[in-house]
Amino acid sequence: MGAWEGIATGLATAFNPANLLWVVAGCLAGTFIGMMPGLGPITAIALMIPVSYSLDPAAGLIMMAGVYYGAVFGGSTSSILINAPGVASTVATSFDGYPMARRGQAGRALALAAHASFAGGTIGAVALLVFAPALAALAKEFQSPEYALMLVFALSSIAAFADRGQVLRSLAAALVGLMLGTVGTDQSAGVQRFTFGRLDLTDGLSFVLVAMATFALAEAFRMVLAGNGDAPTPRVAHARLHPGDPKAIAPTVARSSVLGFLVGVLPGAGATLASFFSYEFQKRFRRRDGVDDARGVAAPEAANNAACTGSFVPLLTLGIPGSGTTAVLLGVMLSYGVQPGPRLLEVEPAMFWGVIVSMYIGNLVLLALNLPLIPHLSRIIHLRRRVLVPFVIAFSLLGVYLTSLNAFDIHLMLGFALAGVVLRLAGFPLAPLLLGFILSGMLEDNLRRTMLLADGSLAFFLDRPVSLGLTALCVLVWLAPLRRLTAKARKPDRSTA
Amino acid sequence: MPTWLKLALVAVTLCVWSVATAAERVHIVIPAGPGGGLDGTAREAGRVLVELGQVERMSFENVSGGGGGRAMAYFLENAGRFDAPLLVNSTPLLVRSLQGVFPYGHRDLTPVAALVADYGVFVVRADDARADWDAVLGSLGTNPRAVTVGGGSTRGSLDHIVLAMALRAADIDPLGVRYLPYDGGGKAMLALLGGEVDLLSTGLGETMAYIEAGEVRALAVTSAHRIPAIAEVPTLTELGHSLVFANWRGLFGPPDMPAAVLEEHLRRLDAMRDSSAWQAVLERRGWDGLDTTGDDFAAFLDAQEAELREIMEALGFVQSRPER
Repeated sequence: MGAWEGIATGLATAFNPANLLWVVAGCLAGTFIGMMPGLGPITAIALMIPVSYSLDPAAGLIMMAGVYYGAVFGGSTSSILINAPGVASTVATSFDGYPMARRGQAGRALALAAHASFAGGTIGAVALLVFAPALAALAKEFQSPEYALMLVFALSSIAAFADRGQVLRSLAAALVGLMLGTVGTDQSAGVQRFTFGRLDLTDGLSFVLVAMATFALAEAFRMVLAGNGDAPTPRVAHARLHPGDPKAIAPTVARSSVLGFLVGVLPGAGATLASFFSYEFQKRFRRRDGVDDARGVAAPEAANNAACTGSFVPLLTLGIPGSGTTAVLLGVMLSYGVQPGPRLLEVEPAMFWGVIVSMYIGNLVLLALNLPLIPHLSRIIHLRRRVLVPFVIAFSLLGVYLTSLNAFDIHLMLGFALAGVVLRLAGFPLAPLLLGFILSGMLEDNLRRTMLLADGSLAFFLDRPVSLGLTALCVLVWLAPLRRLTAKARKPDRSTA
Repeated sequence: MPTWLKLALVAVTLCVWSVATAAERVHIVIPAGPGGGLDGTAREAGRVLVELGQVERMSFENVSGGGGGRAMAYFLENAGRFDAPLLVNSTPLLVRSLQGVFPYGHRDLTPVAALVADYGVFVVRADDARADWDAVLGSLGTNPRAVTVGGGSTRGSLDHIVLAMALRAADIDPLGVRYLPYDGGGKAMLALLGGEVDLLSTGLGETMAYIEAGEVRALAVTSAHRIPAIAEVPTLTELGHSLVFANWRGLFGPPDMPAAVLEEHLRRLDAMRDSSAWQAVLERRGWDGLDTTGDDFAAFLDAQEAELREIMEALGFVQSRPER
């Protein structure tokens, strides 16, 4: 492999005292910004750019990488505590994490997320160290037809694994999400769609806006409407992990980390798809593990942290940013005159391996930073409603405003939140809507490219090995509800999200 | 000294300080998020100007959205609030203004100076059988569907337009050629490397590293002269096609900018251009320096706009009717 020499250089770079300090600084900034509702890794990195300009390239990249995975690490906090996912990859964490918090187990949920994130990040870093150059090939194998089919698979599983009696409602919500995703400039033709001539809409709706409106704000409004007094969430003595938890979640975390890393390597919505697939896999295919919220929190958290590490594979080895966040990181690297890509390993071995090795240290730092905070953070959930609801509303509005600095977004968000409340009262689940929205643009772009390539023929489903496999998976998923029709009563277990 | 006097002194100092700093501050509005090419151009120029002592303080403001239209609206509305406001912009300003994405154009601003240029480049995989640009044109001439072209932006935006210009220069109908848009130059490059597309129309800046690494082969650039770092790659002009196209990035002032302020900006930018610090920036970023300023810049913009309008009408992205 020849990597051992490189790893030794990396160790030397990462353990340089100044660089150690920058790992800690980056993780600290990232994890705190990431904890804020509505602020995700991309905001965290953007805020830290001025700091990075004053550092030498290796230290700057080590710090910025720390900001990135630190923000992903901290991102679960607002998902679990106030149902406000600040980044698409923590949406799945809120499915089980928020209900746990409502039942008074906020501390346990946060601790689970922290440990799973740590394990996911570390397993991801090991995989990055060992397989980085080899995995670059995987990213090249996945092309438009494969992406299109993977997205069809993701959307199919939303409906197929919905609760009993919710299949049609989930499908309808996912379709509304897909439609919301078409607002803005059409990527394939450059035409404006549903913008009503407003400049504010030409870039489409932002994820933070839709997520905050349909999750956090809709939940806050529901709390107000539900009334039933001003009782705070009961305190249950679950501030920490249960004694049995580590053993129970270990296999889940291991599985999700590997899956997360592999999906994260693919440029695109890596971390989001990874966390979502891991969650679905855990909740649906592994029924014999028992329906257990602890695993439902651990699976997406392990996966999204591993995927975040995985996204460094195409960035460092091919110079290709897989997400908005890595695109900003690429900009930072270019400003240092460092061109990531096939030659980075030869030109800057100390930086390449230094950044990777620093991720181990970073993950330890993050665990040490986050665990002591959990008892304090989890108190938020015990606030009285008349305190908690305004807090949630203020922070979601602030989060959306800080991302775009556009007051129009606030009006739009309030409208969406009201629509969200109506949909919830009518019994529609909002998670499929949000997922449909997140995946909409990617699905459309990849499908249209595939159609252009194939001259409108649908044969691409079958004529490439990877797409054939994905098509088979989709068919299996479509058959799942049929099987359920014949199977007898199993209690619905999915809480409303 | 009594307390009130101390407080008064502090207040006076603060006032003087804020007035003094406000007078020395140059404020640049950037119509994109942090980390991209426009952001980099503004911040690098600002850093060099401060290092040289040409400007005491610089501030930057990222206003993204609306394809650059929000920044334009914001700049026109708020320019009066700042002492020396500037807007950084690039060729897509002309493209989007022609498409009618926003109701503004370069004539609503005072062109100050073009700072750097990026050029279009056509690349194939290193192992592609087609040896040169003529071979690609040959394949396309016999069958327009034979070569699939990828680019880092939507149909009707820069990568697509430069491709269309180059094809028309060789008498090939650009509408018959298959163009696949990707979300950014990086993903388009991945599609080329993975074999989904055969030819990439993209910016030289973001492609240089792949060319130098030997992963891809550049067939032609749209610059007027060969680029030193890839001196073996011919220009389109050398190949007998009369096409030179630069994607410029430059600075603009508000419409009513006084001549004295413009002079002051030009003097500072001259000093910057001559400095070794700026040369180092160009070298490090792989940018080509430009020195078109003031009226020359305005004339250059008019000419490029006419060129773009012509090709965009041919492609059907602009209706050939009087401006709305």
